[in-house]
Amino acid sequence: MQEKDPSICEEKNYNQLFHKHYEAVTKYIYYKCGDLQQAEDITQSVFLKLWKLCNTIAFSKAKSYIYKACNNLFLNEVAHKKVVLKHQKSIVNTADKESPDFLIEVEEFREKLKAAINKLSVKEREVFLLSRVEKHTYKEIAEITGLTVKAIERRMSKALQELKSMLGKDIKI
Amino acid sequence: MNENYNSDDTFLGRWIAGTLTEEERIAFEKTKEFKQFQLINREAELLEGPAIDTNAALEKVKQQIEQEKPKPKVIRMWYAVAATVILLIGLGTFLNSSKTYRTGIGEKMLVTLNDGSTVNLNANSRLSHKRFFWTDNKEVELTGEGYFTVVKGEGFKVTTAQGHIEVLGTQFNVQERKDQFKVACYEGKVQFTRSIDDVEVLTKGQQVTLSNNSFLKENFNEEKEQWLLNKSTFENVPLHIVLNEFEQYYPVTFDTSKINTKINFTGSFSHSDLEIALQTVLLPMKLKFVKKGNTLTLSE
Repeated sequence: MQEKDPSICEEKNYNQLFHKHYEAVTKYIYYKCGDLQQAEDITQSVFLKLWKLCNTIAFSKAKSYIYKACNNLFLNEVAHKKVVLKHQKSIVNTADKESPDFLIEVEEFREKLKAAINKLSVKEREVFLLSRVEKHTYKEIAEITGLTVKAIERRMSKALQELKSMLGKDIKI
Repeated sequence: MNENYNSDDTFLGRWIAGTLTEEERIAFEKTKEFKQFQLINREAELLEGPAIDTNAALEKVKQQIEQEKPKPKVIRMWYAVAATVILLIGLGTFLNSSKTYRTGIGEKMLVTLNDGSTVNLNANSRLSHKRFFWTDNKEVELTGEGYFTVVKGEGFKVTTAQGHIEVLGTQFNVQERKDQFKVACYEGKVQFTRSIDDVEVLTKGQQVTLSNNSFLKENFNEEKEQWLLNKSTFENVPLHIVLNEFEQYYPVTFDTSKINTKINFTGSFSHSDLEIALQTVLLPMKLKFVKKGNTLTLSE
């Protein structure tokens, strides 16, 4: 099967890669830098490069190339900003009924949660959001970031510890 | 034991992934912090990242590809077009190239053409024809003098500065020299065309000569063109024409400034010996010569 790796130079294969990875990569970079415009620029320039190098990159290696190249480009542009997140509207109420014990308003808590997430170090924020928001498994995150699953478990633990210490006072159950 | 999540730095991570052991999980769920973690986790799971418009992005990247790509493609295309044009011109020139036969002073040559026709090329003459596909359009260009023996076939044509001769299986002589033009038919039939409305048809024993810019058609009775017998024969021909003819066979130049070249000469000279040929022309005319290099200055 690997012998007949489809060519990235063929437009339909290139489009397929684009649709499959563009959004996820852009969000990954966004969770690092907090600048959506910058994230999109980085991802687009990497995809442009992918087209130019379509003869030299195997289809099966494309995903890892895209993530690595985006990461490298991001590292060259250091400025980190806050990540803008919002809550999904549809699920809000059902979640509330299960836990009627909140002493603070749900909305207020959510604002504090978002602020707390932004106070995490970039390393923890990135892993936490990839897991909780993007619903990637640790294995997938390991692939994206180049870390081990163990390291991700550690970063997740640390992120949760820090979030709890920042928000614990506001949660009285 | 309740403090597992503090001492084990992967504990909470594993809890999120659902990979705690049953024992660890039950113990953890009993702690008072569990509900706080649970709430943080559940609320975090309800968060959304930014909306990404993949199609718009793809469009944008494609535009950039288009902007960067076409240039080298166009250049390469132009190279290809240019190369093809040069190649075609080259090929055309090659296929259209000519084969040329030349004879020097005193030289004669027998040329056999592709259709089997032969041309005896006289001294100081030039015959050329197309190198390829000649038999499709049998045309030869002649300057100087040539005796043609043409095999039967369609459209053999001899082009000269004075007009062209078309033939159908015949023998004829064409002489095109300075001040001297003659087409003589020895066998069959030829047609000499000077222009569209100046056409002469010659049969065996007929010739056309050019004198004073007009063509004169007359009969002749030689069996064979004299130059083919290695001699030139003249009957009441002005001396300057005789001397010009002489120069075709011998590498000499005549200085005629001291003599009258309009007087006529009757006789012949051989093509094989300069001294004898000079005597046979100059003695009857009572002329002397002084030789200096290749120039012969004539005097009375």
